[in-house]
Amino acid sequence: MKSENTLSTSDRRSNLRHTLSEYGIVIAFVFLCICLSFANENFMTWGNWVNVLRQTSINGILAIGMTYVILTKGIDLSVGSLLAISGIVAGSLVTGETAGSVWIAIPAGLCVGVMLGALNGLVVARLAVAPFVVTLGMLSIARGLTFIYNDGMPIANLSLEFRYLGQGMVGAIPVPVIVLALVFAVFWFILNRTTFGRYVYAVGGNEKSAKTSGIRTRLVVFSVYALSGLLAALAGLILAARTTSALPQAGVAYELDAIAAVVIGGTSLNGGVGTLTGTLIGALIIGVINNGLDLMGVSSYYQQVIKGAIIVAAVLIDVSRKSRN
Amino acid sequence: MRFLKFAAITVALSLAGSASAIAQTKKTYNVGAAVYGLKGEFMQLWANALKEHPLVKDGTIKLTILDGKYDALTQNNQFDTMITQKVDGIIFVPIDIQAGAEAVNKAAAAKIPVVGSNTRVNSDKLTSYVGSNDVIAGEMEAETVIKAIGGKGNVVILEGPIGQSAQIERRKGNQNVLAKYKDVKVLEMKTANWSRAEALSLMENWLTAHSGKINGIIGQNDEMALGAIEAVKAKGLDPKTIPTAGIDGVADAVRAVKAGLMTSVLQDASAQAQGSLDVLMRSIVGASYKPQAKLWENYKAAGLSWGDGTAKAYSIPWTPITMSNADQFLPK
Repeated sequence: MKSENTLSTSDRRSNLRHTLSEYGIVIAFVFLCICLSFANENFMTWGNWVNVLRQTSINGILAIGMTYVILTKGIDLSVGSLLAISGIVAGSLVTGETAGSVWIAIPAGLCVGVMLGALNGLVVARLAVAPFVVTLGMLSIARGLTFIYNDGMPIANLSLEFRYLGQGMVGAIPVPVIVLALVFAVFWFILNRTTFGRYVYAVGGNEKSAKTSGIRTRLVVFSVYALSGLLAALAGLILAARTTSALPQAGVAYELDAIAAVVIGGTSLNGGVGTLTGTLIGALIIGVINNGLDLMGVSSYYQQVIKGAIIVAAVLIDVSRKSRN
Repeated sequence: MRFLKFAAITVALSLAGSASAIAQTKKTYNVGAAVYGLKGEFMQLWANALKEHPLVKDGTIKLTILDGKYDALTQNNQFDTMITQKVDGIIFVPIDIQAGAEAVNKAAAAKIPVVGSNTRVNSDKLTSYVGSNDVIAGEMEAETVIKAIGGKGNVVILEGPIGQSAQIERRKGNQNVLAKYKDVKVLEMKTANWSRAEALSLMENWLTAHSGKINGIIGQNDEMALGAIEAVKAKGLDPKTIPTAGIDGVADAVRAVKAGLMTSVLQDASAQAQGSLDVLMRSIVGASYKPQAKLWENYKAAGLSWGDGTAKAYSIPWTPITMSNADQFLPK
């Protein structure tokens, strides 16, 4: 009797802790926004939030793909390079007087991302090479190919039609933000409402038992890298459209911001635990920090320190949560 | 007319080039060019121009271009390799003004001449330096923006990566001019690391923080100026109402100048690259060497003179790009 009582109390406590850790990130985000709105009167304006959302869209899209990969206990270091090569391939089809249709250029760019992502997935799933190594290799290969593709020169003068993807507005909302919202909705649905989504969690939680229970784990692992490649390509197209030119050096080190967003959002690097909502808020936190510190005129050196501190703090919360469980 | 002159010079040069190749069939020269990194448009243009030097094209010079990958240590290691291979001469575009000095000392100790190009290095062992004075470019762009806003108002400055020689010198040029105008206030000054994407976000945030107060934009390179223009457009403002200046004359900027959206000054990558190779060859071959590149002719009127090819520094002039002359700088 007595022992049952203690159990239920600790259960209740862990429930409370669970709720806190689940919503901790949301609370932290709201707190950060309140602080920044006191620090600068322009922060809480519609115009500024349009900026924050637009600036977050690219990292947000990358981070959504990264969440899938990290949930399977993997990592994708190649997203920055896949972003660049997709942007430059699509850009080359919509530049100058011979600009073709965006309905060819966009699928072509996405195709490049999916194929290279699938190649990552194939090597990780089939040959069982560590994801860190495979995608580190791809980071270098895809970047090199990007420079080879146009001899290291940027592709400028992209067609107006193509630029709409980065610069257009639907009513008062920028197109990149709408793309982010759609991507989030689709990927949230897949992860939370489909069998495939459950498999992603299962593979990351315990690959062996997932396999014994009949899940085709290799196919799941392969798919998440292909999806990450797809989203990296999409981000690359938006970046090129926003800056009106496809640069071969675009997206260097973007994988780090994407991983940071995932980790801040509470997804465990050990796989199996995490949410897409957390990732989205993680990306927003990074965006809000950069934006807020720019508004206040804080040097970019401090920005890096603060971002780093938040990442470590987020992981500390994650670790302490694990040890309690 | 311009084309005829160009054609005549090209023909003359290629004849001269082949004549000297016949005269010295046995003698070839190994030249290494250590550049800080090949990922930017400017260094690509520089490297391509170097490969187009008449003596490289006819095989007299065997050219190896080494990519320093934006890392001082990599460049130092590449110097060691070139010294071991006993190259005849080195062209050096250092990533860091201080760290490059040690590399130059090592080459000098091995009696290999080193000619600097584009970015500076703090060493008196350098045979010569062929580049453009970034302080002047910084002055030119600041002057243009401040004049366009009528000598008073608020400006923001987008800086290069802090500590690079171009950033240090362009900032100095900006400040030389700003010091003269007491009614011009610098609202913000921050690095966007030469990057268009970074400048775009930064400028969006500045336009929010100083809504309606920014009168002019000084970008220490074209890429950042172009990013700023996109931010201005995204904000629903007309870029023509906020004078913006950049430096370098990359193709996209030339187009923007033509459209009346910004101003820029051309940094002549080709002249810097080919000029440095001529000066290096002069020090290897001796007084009999005649410069092969056409820049010495092109910039004569602007005050650049070959002399006997032994000056300690050659300053390639900056050319302002305007709506009327923009066409000639666009890639064909």
